[in-house]
Amino acid sequence: MEKLKRMIFLSLLVSLGLALSIIESFMPVPFIAPGAKLGLSNMVILVTLVVFGFKEALIVGILKSLLFTLVTGSVSSLFYSLTGTVFSSIAMFIVYLYFSKFFSLIGVSIFGAVAHNTAQVLVASLIMNNFKIFSYLPILLLISLFTGYFTGLASIFISKNLKKNFQPRCEINKI
Amino acid sequence: MTKGDKCLIISIIIISLFSLWYVKKEATNYDEKYILIQVDGKDYKKITFGPEVIGKKIPIKTELGYNLIEIGDGKVRVIEADCPDQLDVKQGYIESPGEVIVCLPNKLVIEIKGKTKDEDIDYISH
Repeated sequence: MEKLKRMIFLSLLVSLGLALSIIESFMPVPFIAPGAKLGLSNMVILVTLVVFGFKEALIVGILKSLLFTLVTGSVSSLFYSLTGTVFSSIAMFIVYLYFSKFFSLIGVSIFGAVAHNTAQVLVASLIMNNFKIFSYLPILLLISLFTGYFTGLASIFISKNLKKNFQPRCEINKI
Repeated sequence: MTKGDKCLIISIIIISLFSLWYVKKEATNYDEKYILIQVDGKDYKKITFGPEVIGKKIPIKTELGYNLIEIGDGKVRVIEADCPDQLDVKQGYIESPGEVIVCLPNKLVIEIKGKTKDEDIDYISH
């Protein structure tokens, strides 16, 4: 029963992340820099990481990227979103597991946003064969500070409520 | 919000501001500049700025897609593109060396490059 509940909840999280990504793609970007996003779906991955665990967070992130590609139909963006998701989940996991003494979820979220941006710029520079694109990274990092702060803040509230409903079974929460 | 968060935020702000300043400094070290258009990693066209190219529109049509760029007085922008998100059109003008317009779906990179004035010709071979 517990397993079924978890599975249903994970698929709900995937669809939530998908919906957030789609809404986000409709929103005009309020910043000067093109390519910057709010990263709302990062919130879903962070909550999954906290409530369920690393494996589940990775699954939710990858499924979300694949489904988002099916929805928008742009295959070229699949690489960017997949590598970004994988890198940011790994970064958030490491920070959450080993450094949660120093950082709250806000810090974890900022680390995830930074890793996401760096991975995407790296993929872009590899595909375009032009490392000048890295000059764009500082602007993205500055923006990711703000978006990371607010997604982290939101994740704190969400995960506080979710942890009441789900007995955390993953190894992270014991440490 | 813990102490570590604040340290992290401040250090990222410092790092990115410093690297922004560094990029800016590298970019303003030039006297003469030209536009380099690359498609799929290969050079497509090189245009030197001058009074005769102001207002000129150059179509870039490859098998990867179509973009129309417009050259202004020492600046360049994309005015038409067939990519879905139109980010390159929204970016507007770029003018200083090192700045780039990237159109990922069409694999197009438009870059402003600069030459320093005291860079003499080493040798010419015919």
